[in-house]
Amino acid sequence: MLELIRPGLQIDFVGKRRIWMTVSAIAMAATLVLLFTKGLNYGIDFTGGAEVQIHVPAGSWDIGKLRNELETGGIQGLKVQQIGDAQSNQYLVKAQGHEDTLNLVAQHVRDILGKSLKAGEFEIQRVDVVGPAAGSSLRMSGFLSMFYALLCILIYVTVRFDYRYSPGAVLALLHDTILTVGIFILTQKQFDLQILAALLALIGYSNNDTIIVYDRVRETVHQHPELPIDKAVNRAVNETLGRTILTSLCTFITVSALWLFGGKVIEDFAFTLMVGIIVGTYSSIFIASSLVIVITHYHDRRLASGAKGGANVARKKKVILVRPEPKLN
Amino acid sequence: MSRSWWGKFFLLGFIVVLSGVYVYPTLANLDLEKTKFPFKQKINLGLDLQGGLYLVLGVDFNKVYKDVVERQSSSLKDRLKEKGITVTDMKILRDGFAPDDPRIALDFDKTKREEFYQILKKEFWTLRLAGEHEGHFELGLSHDYRAEVRERTLNQSIEVIRNRIDEFGVSEPAITSQGTDRIVVELPGVREVDRAKDLIGRTAKLEFKAVDDKTLSQVQLATLISEIEKANNFTYKEGQKFSDYVRKVNDLAKGKIPNDDEIAFERSKGLPGQAEAGRVPYLLHAKTAVTGDDLQDASVQLDPENRRPNVSFTLNPRGAALFDKFTADNIGHRLAIVLDNIVHSAPVIQSRIGGGRGQITLGRGDGDAMMKEAKDLAIVLRAGALPAQLDFLEQRVVGPSLGQDSIHKGAIASVIGSVAVFIFVAIYYQTSGLIAVFSLMLNVLFVLATLVGLEATLTLPGIAGIALTVGIAVDSNVVIYERIREELRFGKRPGSAVEAGFQKAFRTILDANVTNAAAGIVLLLYGTGPIKGFAVTLLIGIMTTLFTAVFVCRLIFDIYLKYLEDRGYQTLSI
Repeated sequence: MLELIRPGLQIDFVGKRRIWMTVSAIAMAATLVLLFTKGLNYGIDFTGGAEVQIHVPAGSWDIGKLRNELETGGIQGLKVQQIGDAQSNQYLVKAQGHEDTLNLVAQHVRDILGKSLKAGEFEIQRVDVVGPAAGSSLRMSGFLSMFYALLCILIYVTVRFDYRYSPGAVLALLHDTILTVGIFILTQKQFDLQILAALLALIGYSNNDTIIVYDRVRETVHQHPELPIDKAVNRAVNETLGRTILTSLCTFITVSALWLFGGKVIEDFAFTLMVGIIVGTYSSIFIASSLVIVITHYHDRRLASGAKGGANVARKKKVILVRPEPKLN
Repeated sequence: MSRSWWGKFFLLGFIVVLSGVYVYPTLANLDLEKTKFPFKQKINLGLDLQGGLYLVLGVDFNKVYKDVVERQSSSLKDRLKEKGITVTDMKILRDGFAPDDPRIALDFDKTKREEFYQILKKEFWTLRLAGEHEGHFELGLSHDYRAEVRERTLNQSIEVIRNRIDEFGVSEPAITSQGTDRIVVELPGVREVDRAKDLIGRTAKLEFKAVDDKTLSQVQLATLISEIEKANNFTYKEGQKFSDYVRKVNDLAKGKIPNDDEIAFERSKGLPGQAEAGRVPYLLHAKTAVTGDDLQDASVQLDPENRRPNVSFTLNPRGAALFDKFTADNIGHRLAIVLDNIVHSAPVIQSRIGGGRGQITLGRGDGDAMMKEAKDLAIVLRAGALPAQLDFLEQRVVGPSLGQDSIHKGAIASVIGSVAVFIFVAIYYQTSGLIAVFSLMLNVLFVLATLVGLEATLTLPGIAGIALTVGIAVDSNVVIYERIREELRFGKRPGSAVEAGFQKAFRTILDANVTNAAAGIVLLLYGTGPIKGFAVTLLIGIMTTLFTAVFVCRLIFDIYLKYLEDRGYQTLSI
């Protein structure tokens, strides 16, 4: 039997939970600060603009020549950049401006190239034009969709687990999403619709590991009620460590193949998922588990302080005592 | 094997064979026209994979509302006249209101207020009272009617676009509404992108109007316009919306031209690259004599003299009668043929024209391009005018070579990723790993078959979605196998360890897939184009994963256990 993680392993994951949680909290706060200072490098999907990808014959064109030709051809505020390696002879022309100007950009590019090149020698491979109005409505609905996805999962997790677990699951989820966005701010990779789709997929996926850990925590707590919560959680994390790492590893393998071999169009999409999987695995092992302990301690303290309070203790206690333990398989 | 196994086994066999039949034409790349293979359907490739055009069009309702308000106001006027309510002043308010809520303002005999109000309430549900002070009403369109106008306009627009595209010839066009004011047009495989765009976006409102040469000559008019331009410091720049320019000129010329006249331009298209295109102004009587609504047919013909194509049209009997009368009344004057508010030509009416036939000449250009232009004009005239102006909000074009490249790379990456996972799982879990690999392969087969069966569209993110499905499906196997290993460590026998492993892992697998599905559904609702393709494969993948992990994998395990039992082995290769 091949074993990545030997059974009976006891690493103290939760003992240093303050460190993990502080690190994550700082990282999240930093991301939020960066989001409002440096900001995401939004693609034209969200800002509006035009992008024309062209392929020109080898040797006949260089980037400066292309830019000059286009500038004299009347396209304003444009950027030309080479994409892929130098041999691919592919360029991306970007322009900003009013909707009607944007709609003409591709035509201009074709006209200009057509003046010095024969038809068939060059190719317009892709044109994306998003009007400023469409861009802002895409941005709006994009963020709404993320909100709805988070909300759906929040509801499910709340129903599925009880008050001790669901806040942790949701926080872990937010943690993964925010940090992945943070990586996008740091790398200044273009944030477009595809990346948003990848983030949404991540919101769905990153909870999987957390659920595995929580299921086991609950099982452990149920079977060994005498264990203090941090011991129980640590045992659960250790017991599920193999599967947490293995599941992430398998998905990571497929996604990194997409990243390496899937071509330019899918590269950043795969990158998002790769980052998300790493962050998600970290948060399942370190953060989600720690949060269960923190929340349980919080509830215990409230119970304890309530006991001194007198009259309403009984009611409070009763509520919690009566809550049936979820049935385990 | 027990009987229930056989039942399950046959069910699985049946599903596998069926999926194979669904997927075979796509994988073998059969020529559907020639093949003898009974199942003739391939996977639909998205725009990003086969190239094509994706457009989001915004419907400009403001003009429509204005037209509707005008019509309503004239019928209200007639009705009030019949009822003997004197209206001292009635006008359409143009300024000071949201452009999507035009108003009618009218002053009337204030003693008849109640009577008027009753008429309004009973007969004009289309209008609402938006403001009132003594003897003065301000009317806007009622909310119900606005909604109706919107819906009708949107549906009509879609219908017209569909008719045009059908004549243009695109294999599988999709024209759908998005929200209440947008239309999404997807034309996979389209090569002549600009032509298609032109065909879709053109309003094609054909009008015949009389030219007012008496008030101002064309030269005087040109002078007037350049004076207005100079005084207000603006001019038409290339790339600007021409209709905005025309509106501005008309607004500023108010008072300098007769009230029921308007200025329109003839545009001589500059050759490509030539920035300055000429524009010739005309002063027209605003009232339309005949419109394209009365058009019966339009077709391309060659002018016998100069061999240039033109579009000749026939009016229906009603239009022909109107045209006949109009030409009879205006002999010696010029008739402007106005298409989408641009004057195409303005021939002098030599004699009364009966029969309702006419032709639209085109500008200069090379033969081929003109022929295409003429054909497209004929198409749009036949298909009818769009009820509203459409703006291109979003357009995406993917060239065929890029699409090919994407399929190629996406497929290779997915295969590499999947094979890497297969190898890893086979080494890590040995025989059980091979079972997992087998069920994963079936999983991919099922995803592809479902895509074909649902006639869903495969996009590049969709291909990524399939690869991701493999990754996520392995998760389920890992969860089950780790459970089984654990049960074995507790000293359970293989049979009961497998039993317990599957049972205990089920809930976790279900949870994982439910949250995935929630994200997938949000993606499906929100996403368009390629993203939707991703959501679809993700959701299909979740279903097939549940099926393969719980049903297929389990079944094979049972067979494997039986095999072990028959040979008296006590250890499970996991």
